[in-house]
Amino acid sequence: MDGAQRDATADGARQDAALCVAQVACDHPAPIDAICADLGDRALDLVCLFISPQADFHALTNAAIGRFGEADVLACTTAGELGRDGYEDGQIIAVGYPSDLFSVVSYVIDGLDTLDEQTVIDELIQRRLALTRQAPEMTSEFVFLMVDGLSMREENLTAMLAAGLGPMPLFGGSSGDGTSFRQTYLSRNGAVVQNAALVALVRSRCRAKVFSLDHLVPTETRMVVTRAKLDQRLVSQINGAPAAAEYARLLGKDPTQLDPFIFAAHPVVVRLGDSHHVRAIRQVTEDGELIFFSAIDEGMVLTLADHTDMAGHLRRELDALEREGAPQHILGCDCILRKIEAGQTQKTRELSQILRDKRVIGFNTYGEQIGALHVNQTFTGVAIYPPEDPDR
Amino acid sequence: MSLINPADSIEEQNAKLQTIAAALMKRVEYDTAQSGAAYAQFERAALLEKRVRERTLELERTLDLLHDSNAQLARANQETEAARRNLADAIETVSEGFALFDGADVLVMCNSRFCRYFRDTVPQLDPGLSFAEYVAQVSRSAHLALPKGETAESWTAKRIQRHKDRHVMFNVQLSQDRWVQVSEHRTATGGTVVLQTDVTDLIRLERQERTRLKDKQARMIRATLDHLNQGVCIFDEDARLVGWNQKLGALLSLPARRLQLGVTFIGLLDQLDDEFRFVRGLDRDGFRHWALAAGPRPPVSFEVRDGAQSSLQIFGRGMPDGGFVISVTDVTAEREAAQKLSDLNEILEQRVMERTLELEDALSAAERANASKSRFVAAASHDLLQPLSAAKLFLSSLADRLPDDRDRQVLGKAESALSSAEQLIDALLDISKLESDGLSFDIRPVALREIFAPLRDEMEVMADRKGLTLRVLDSSLTVETDPAYLRRVVQNLMANAIRYTDTGRVVVGARRSAGSARIEVWDTGPGIAEADQGTIFEEFKRLDTTASSNDGLGLGLAIVERACARLGHPLGLWSEPGRGACFMVNVPIVDRAAPRRTQSARRVYATGLAHAGLIVLLVENDPQLRRAITILVESWGVNVLEAEDAVTARELLRDLDLAPDALLLDYRLGSGPTGLELYDEIARDLGTLPCALVTADRAPELRQACADRGLELLPKPLDRHKLARFLETSARAAVESVR
Repeated sequence: MDGAQRDATADGARQDAALCVAQVACDHPAPIDAICADLGDRALDLVCLFISPQADFHALTNAAIGRFGEADVLACTTAGELGRDGYEDGQIIAVGYPSDLFSVVSYVIDGLDTLDEQTVIDELIQRRLALTRQAPEMTSEFVFLMVDGLSMREENLTAMLAAGLGPMPLFGGSSGDGTSFRQTYLSRNGAVVQNAALVALVRSRCRAKVFSLDHLVPTETRMVVTRAKLDQRLVSQINGAPAAAEYARLLGKDPTQLDPFIFAAHPVVVRLGDSHHVRAIRQVTEDGELIFFSAIDEGMVLTLADHTDMAGHLRRELDALEREGAPQHILGCDCILRKIEAGQTQKTRELSQILRDKRVIGFNTYGEQIGALHVNQTFTGVAIYPPEDPDR
Repeated sequence: MSLINPADSIEEQNAKLQTIAAALMKRVEYDTAQSGAAYAQFERAALLEKRVRERTLELERTLDLLHDSNAQLARANQETEAARRNLADAIETVSEGFALFDGADVLVMCNSRFCRYFRDTVPQLDPGLSFAEYVAQVSRSAHLALPKGETAESWTAKRIQRHKDRHVMFNVQLSQDRWVQVSEHRTATGGTVVLQTDVTDLIRLERQERTRLKDKQARMIRATLDHLNQGVCIFDEDARLVGWNQKLGALLSLPARRLQLGVTFIGLLDQLDDEFRFVRGLDRDGFRHWALAAGPRPPVSFEVRDGAQSSLQIFGRGMPDGGFVISVTDVTAEREAAQKLSDLNEILEQRVMERTLELEDALSAAERANASKSRFVAAASHDLLQPLSAAKLFLSSLADRLPDDRDRQVLGKAESALSSAEQLIDALLDISKLESDGLSFDIRPVALREIFAPLRDEMEVMADRKGLTLRVLDSSLTVETDPAYLRRVVQNLMANAIRYTDTGRVVVGARRSAGSARIEVWDTGPGIAEADQGTIFEEFKRLDTTASSNDGLGLGLAIVERACARLGHPLGLWSEPGRGACFMVNVPIVDRAAPRRTQSARRVYATGLAHAGLIVLLVENDPQLRRAITILVESWGVNVLEAEDAVTARELLRDLDLAPDALLLDYRLGSGPTGLELYDEIARDLGTLPCALVTADRAPELRQACADRGLELLPKPLDRHKLARFLETSARAAVESVR
């Protein structure tokens, strides 16, 4: 795709941009070369690669070793990419953090199912302090988390990390595998891991604002999880009836027709006080059980949620980020269900336009992290504003 | 949608509800126990998150407030800093040295120019420096030129003392003739602003200007001095030469290298060799003494001679500052002129002496003759009158005895003849009296009326006898004269008029004319020809030969002329043949308000002339008139060179090598050139001179010729007023030409 290359070149060459962005199609014969060329020779502290599951993840991360100078290279598989055309597929998105504006400390948290809370917290705090020493002059900061989207340990991880974050806002996304839900991969500097998370602690001269949006409104229709397998996020019974059947009954649907499109269209949320959190349903098992994207519990009350206008909501919310000046980039983790919903409601083009307009890059996730929370069906990310006057 | 599926049976519904209730109860009961569960973690995290979010919001609000405050503080700090920077920039742009001390006399800020001349001892001017320390540091600077007798400590003390004043401004001298003006200004907060202005240029400029002015003045003085035709030298109070002009060196024959600034007076005086003789006024020692005298000096003036020729007049005067000025004037020319004049004077004096001796001889001869004549006349008259009186007595006694009328007629004629002789003798007596030296007048105020009235009565008879009308106009004027002689004058003039007038009338009157009364006697007689007008006043001159011898011997006018001359009453005559004549006598009027005059009119004329030293050339061929004019004019203090004709006059002028101040020329000078021709010759040699032409010639051509040359015309008989006026005018002209 010559056009894509040219565009990537144009993007990467923008020396005054806060972030260096490159994008190539995953069928490119030498995608890493192209990316390297596109990112230019600006010194980078970190390169994040969001790699379509259609690409050969191992080969790519291997090829990337040592190609970006001193920069750490973090990579993950996606459920779709947010590229220069908005919602895209089959792409490799590279995001470089120039050293003059960013200082990054990254590390891997491995073995998510066997984490020791204290160890996790200690390491985070130490890494944070190291970063603070490394770049005391950079005043804005955030944590970008990439976590195995099939690990089912995100709540556990974020809850642990939250204790050590201090004032740093955290956001992240769970790696995806398209709509297949088979394998997701993460890698740091060529080392591919699963059941793990990548943590990037970022300090910057650019103002950064972490946000999380959803466009759902709870309804009055509620249900009670009466039996579940918590470690598998599997709900077998709702309201004392088989879960899928009962969910279908409440939606007025045929239980045999349940699929990700229905789930995307009819999300359920838990209400905690006056806030709600989406508990998205990932898939339905052959036994009529529902597998969720996030933790569930018996006795948990789920509320059906309604959609507001997704595109209008997104534009409104992103506009709100521009209140004190337009961000130069928005690094976004967009839930796969939102992409599905957009497709279902024929709003993909409109949303892509908005994403393009707002210079959003990123990927579609199997779940998003914001602070201590793991949530679903949100658009979560960070807005990077133009660098502040270096003299100041 | 309800929790309950309506499609279920009641039992099923019941069982489900129980399951739900159990799940909920379990959830409620085991919530905290199952803390490790993922959902519980999520729930806790969410709740925490919510609280954190609330806190965060609060924190953010607080932070915003803090940011705002910080921003305000930063702005304020910026403004303060900007203000301080502006102030610093501003005071840096000030060309003066600027320092601000606070109320506690501690330096707040200053610019780089402050104390830049004192960097040796004031290296650091940091805020916090005290005023006293600043002054102390400055006082020790090598660049500070301390006034005489001041030490750094005393200067510091004075400076600190000055600092206590409300307003401070003074000049400080630095080394290398630099000046700084220091001024202090109190701020509203009790601080002090110290300004140091470099006023070197100003002071130098001012000094230059002063020097320039002085130079200009000096040049002007120099030009003035050099312009003077005198040598001038100026000495200061120590008698040292401070100024002189070139003329001085030339006059005193002093070499230029001797005339130098600062040379002492004594040194200069000793330079003058013995050729300089102090001839008049001071001698050498006296001059030295005068010059070295302390205190005010009186002006001195004296003369020195340098060799035989040059004479120098030296004038010295003290000056207020104790110095003195000496001026040297070359008076050689004046002295020579004076010498010449003195020589001339000697010649003239000698001539005068000779002439005087001659005149004295002549005079004594004449006086002798005159005296014998007067004595003879007086004696003769007396001797003649005695027998005449006796004869008249005899005749009168004889008349009684003569019965015959014819005899008596003869006797009457004889008596009349005797009376005429008697009158004649009286007149001769009068004349001899008027010519004698011993005559004295009785001058006093006289009313003309007292003279006119008796004469009218007396003369009317005579006039009636000849058939003439006599009119005497009354006059209220009072004059100052000798009444007896005035009466005689008027009487003679009236008698004369009646005698020579055959028909018509005689009018007598007086009119006021510029301080005098002019008594006029008019007649309608035959008149007197101009040629005769000079002679009628001579004794025994009678023009009308047809007149009866009985009418007198012609002594009347001779008496009038002599009497008027002796009284100082100018006598005038107007006449045209065939139309009559008018004799006029001017008599001074007594001004009622003025005191009685004590001076004779004659001396008044002398006033303007007495000291003029006028030299007049008189050329008159008639010796008598020449003598009369000479005596008159010399009595006014005027020197007279006399000559009888043009040739003699020219010779005299040549001999004397002298230009007279005025010329008094008779028109007709015998057979030689006329007075007018003589004037032209003299004017050719000596230039235009004041000149009066004396003549009896009334021809208009002559008058015109005089007017053309600017000459005065003095008609004969000569009016002494006019003559005096002419000479006074000449004297003034002479004085003015000298100036």
